[in-house]
Amino acid sequence: MSEHKIQRRMTIRNLLQREKAFLIFILLMVAFPFVLGTITGTGINHGVTKFWQGQLIVFFVMAVVAMSYDLLIGYCGILSFGHAAFFGAGAYTTALLFTHWAPSFSTKYRIFIPGGGDITGILIFAFVILMAVLASVLVGLLFSATSVRLKGAYFAMLTLALAEALHILAKASDFIKWTGADEGLHGVPVPAWINPTQFRPRFYFIALVFLFVSYLFIRRFTNSPAGKVIIGTRENEERVRMIGYNPVTYRTLTFVVSAIFAGLAGAMFSMWNMSATHSMTSTVITVNALIMVILGGMGTLVGGIVGAGLLQAFSHFFYDWFGPRWPLMFGLIFIISVLFFPYGIVGTWRLKRLQIKEGWARLIALLAVKKE
Amino acid sequence: MNNNNKRRTYFISGFFVLLLVLIILAWQTLGTAPFVRTSLSGLTLGSLFFMVAAGLTLIFGLMDVLNFAHGSMFMLGAYMGWQFYTNPTFIFGTAPLWLAFATGVFLLPILKPFLIRLELSESWQNALPRLAYALMVVFLLIGLLGVNIMEMADTAMVAITTTVVSNPLSEIGPQEPISSFWIRPLALFLAGAMTAVGASKPGNKKEYATDENRSRNLIILAFLIITTIILTIFREALPVAVLLMNGNLRFALAILTAVLFGFMFGMVIEITFIRPLYQRHMFSILMTLGLAFVIGEVVHILWSPLAYQMVRPPFFAQPGKAETVWEWFQNGNATLNVFGVTFPTYRLFIIVLGLLMFVSLIILMTKTRMGMIIRAGVQDPEMVEALGINVRQVFTLVFALGVAMAALGGIGAAPFIPVQPLMGDQFLMQGFITVVLGGMGSYIGAFVGAITLGMARAFGDYFALRLSLSPAIAEASTVIIMIIVLLVRPSGLFGKKE
Amino acid sequence: MKQTQKTDLILIVDHIQTYIEQFHILQNVSVEVPRNSITVMLGRNGAGKTTTLKSILGLTPPREGKIIFDGMEIQGKRAFNIVNLGIGFVPEHRAIFRQLSVFENLKLAERTKGDLDRSGDFIFDLFPDLKRLIKLPGNHLSGGQQQMLAVARALVPENKLLLIDEPSEGLAPILIQQMMEAIQKLSATTTVLLVEQNFIMASQLADYYYIIDDGKSVHNGLMKDLIKNEDLVKEYLGATAGKVVSGGLQ
Repeated sequence: MSEHKIQRRMTIRNLLQREKAFLIFILLMVAFPFVLGTITGTGINHGVTKFWQGQLIVFFVMAVVAMSYDLLIGYCGILSFGHAAFFGAGAYTTALLFTHWAPSFSTKYRIFIPGGGDITGILIFAFVILMAVLASVLVGLLFSATSVRLKGAYFAMLTLALAEALHILAKASDFIKWTGADEGLHGVPVPAWINPTQFRPRFYFIALVFLFVSYLFIRRFTNSPAGKVIIGTRENEERVRMIGYNPVTYRTLTFVVSAIFAGLAGAMFSMWNMSATHSMTSTVITVNALIMVILGGMGTLVGGIVGAGLLQAFSHFFYDWFGPRWPLMFGLIFIISVLFFPYGIVGTWRLKRLQIKEGWARLIALLAVKKE
Repeated sequence: MNNNNKRRTYFISGFFVLLLVLIILAWQTLGTAPFVRTSLSGLTLGSLFFMVAAGLTLIFGLMDVLNFAHGSMFMLGAYMGWQFYTNPTFIFGTAPLWLAFATGVFLLPILKPFLIRLELSESWQNALPRLAYALMVVFLLIGLLGVNIMEMADTAMVAITTTVVSNPLSEIGPQEPISSFWIRPLALFLAGAMTAVGASKPGNKKEYATDENRSRNLIILAFLIITTIILTIFREALPVAVLLMNGNLRFALAILTAVLFGFMFGMVIEITFIRPLYQRHMFSILMTLGLAFVIGEVVHILWSPLAYQMVRPPFFAQPGKAETVWEWFQNGNATLNVFGVTFPTYRLFIIVLGLLMFVSLIILMTKTRMGMIIRAGVQDPEMVEALGINVRQVFTLVFALGVAMAALGGIGAAPFIPVQPLMGDQFLMQGFITVVLGGMGSYIGAFVGAITLGMARAFGDYFALRLSLSPAIAEASTVIIMIIVLLVRPSGLFGKKE
Repeated sequence: MKQTQKTDLILIVDHIQTYIEQFHILQNVSVEVPRNSITVMLGRNGAGKTTTLKSILGLTPPREGKIIFDGMEIQGKRAFNIVNLGIGFVPEHRAIFRQLSVFENLKLAERTKGDLDRSGDFIFDLFPDLKRLIKLPGNHLSGGQQQMLAVARALVPENKLLLIDEPSEGLAPILIQQMMEAIQKLSATTTVLLVEQNFIMASQLADYYYIIDDGKSVHNGLMKDLIKNEDLVKEYLGATAGKVVSGGLQ
């Protein structure tokens, strides 16, 4: 028992040590608005500083999408082209509830804590987020249910079709009263305290905490025994079954975790835009997640963040250089990456770093021999 | 094995019985006229689905590559055909360039037998291809810098609105004069030639090449060179000549152009992007998805996200209803009386086109050596190679064939649905459902699946309309068919391979 | 003396190393096949015999070593090019094309038009059953008929060398006899490199033997010498084969 405890404490400490780069990155991001605000002298809720916070918020949210996708493709080896469905389910649930349910509910009922404080807003917020997670988890369960019998290309095909079906429904004129069909939902009344235009820095830090917690959780998940089994199913499903684990259970678990984070990211994204449009359920979301993961490096988690950062940074400049069709550049980069750098930036760097280390070791060994 | 066969037979016959019952039920509830109209709409859709699904299923069956770019190929076929029909300036303006490059690359089989026999030191063996590729880039830049592709693409709509009868393109600005243009095809030819030199790995004794077919290759090369020169000289005159042609002939040529384009495009895509990834299965799928993305973006750039409506050729466009087929053939009516139902003739043409393709595919697969190789390759490509057949070449041809079929579907659909960058997405999804329903790798399955799905869509739309729902509901619910089939019988109706 | 022997070799496999993915399957295999003979490769399951055949064919190209066929280095060439030099291959597990008819299976094996017309009589003479079944699809054939079709397929074009992988696998004794006779007849006109588990069959057919063990060629010589060497047979091929040898001696 005590041994177990020690080991766990050790792993958390190890985690912190191993994730030095990530922690430094988070600290930099924490400092960013203050530093930029001081340099430009605009204050952190104004001008350039506010603009760049907006860019970074999208980056944080997309990084979580990429990580949740990496969990499926990189760790579980599942090719799912329906990630937009998770994201869209989260986004639409949030926007729909805030638009159609929250206002009427909060006018009818008020909830107070015994001390007298009004917690209706917080409860509504929590409920909406919970529902968003639930919706995407349901989609995730649907996906994992079909993955029991379907492998590889078949599964990719089915998930693409399912996501496409959701996309069509989001666009369908039948639900125009609720979803706004082609127009989408705009001006979603998100709670005032999180309003991204009024309280940009607040939203910025919420998004940053979201990224931080998501990363730590997913990292912990992949390092857990369950995570090892999941990696095992990627390598050899038969063998995992032979050892006595049920691959289906673990795959379902992966789907649920992946769906939770993709759905949360969708909820964040719709709150950030204060809207939900059918483009949030389109294949473009999936392709973006894919580009981020492949570019950054599959099965590394950090790769997703790196990829999302590149996508967000370059999209800003590419727009200036190549005009409105800048995604073409990303498509080309993606193709080149698939052809020549299948391990992505992080993966290739790790491989090369090992080589460099080996080279060093060899050199040192050579020198040592010579000294003798 | 035998048991499996039996189960498959039961499954198929059960399916057809169910279908028959559903058809009779629909007939009884709808009455004859709406039933016939809806069925014909279903067949039209099914015909288009089949043209997409046939390539998908063959490519997957033979090479295990699920082509997510197939919808984009369909869309490209539509764009190429539409361009050729309304204003071929873009096609004829760019043709000399890429044809010159292709001609240069075609030097490969002719040069390779000589180049690999050269005695070169190892450093030269390494350096020469790199040098060749570097030169290729230089030549490409010389050939392509300053070509105004955008302007040529933009001319598409001008031709229709023009009033000058003798020269429909009179309102389009002049292109680059031939006196300075000629250097571009030349540079691209040299770029292609450099690619050929680089790819043939000079001096590498491990490479193998025969010059058995040298005379044949030389004839093809000469043909390519002459075509390139003719196209270079007449690149401004030809579009005008095409536009002054009879509309029906122009449409036939547009179909031919789309199919030829699809075939060559498929070949290029397979050789450059798919072939290196056969060993890494997942990446080949990722690649096709990336390609779909890129193709969509390129089309967006060239023709903007607008939707264009291609004009129907005169044979299907004269006002008035034909009572008999013969009357239609004489007058070219827009609609025809089919069992008391007024139905657009163009849609009948799509049905006929699909049927023709199906019949040609059957003949190809059962009567020719190529078809034999494909059927054998679906089971065991390695053993086909061990019989002395160049399987890689077969892969390329099948990929090209599949893309050509999708392009045929695209141009077939162009006068019927709006031509726009996303038109392929819907067909890709329905193509997937078709292929799953029919069974991966079976072209007969693709046909049955396509017709079934087309019917389901048509009747679904009809009932959705009655219940005052939008057709989107019917479209989205077809995914349910896919889920059911995948869960009940993952190998589909006619599938042999799991 | 040795020089003249070299020229009589149709196939020289010289210290090849083959990897399948990251697994080092063939670690050191050398085989020499004299013209117009039957050479058999013996060894346990998974010793690397089939991989050796596939390496010769270029289906699993060796990373190191040389393969010389008919005086020409063929390692690193594409499989279809190697095969077209005149090598016929009969794969294990009767890998015929089940969706194709018997006729189509044979027709597919043609390298130049008219191959089947030329060799048809010889094939149907060897396997009269096939003539009767010519229109049937491959999946309607029995196991023995499928095996015969697999062999027949390799006889359609003119081959200098036949690689036959486990022709007796899963066949009834009477069919094994028929198969043996067929291979015997073949060896009159061509060279055969055989992989065989059935030691009786191998010992009666072959002129030369190679023993492959753990991805290495460990022993070779004349078959008639091997039959006398009970210990060697027991060591590499197991007790059953050993019994055959000792039984054969009595």
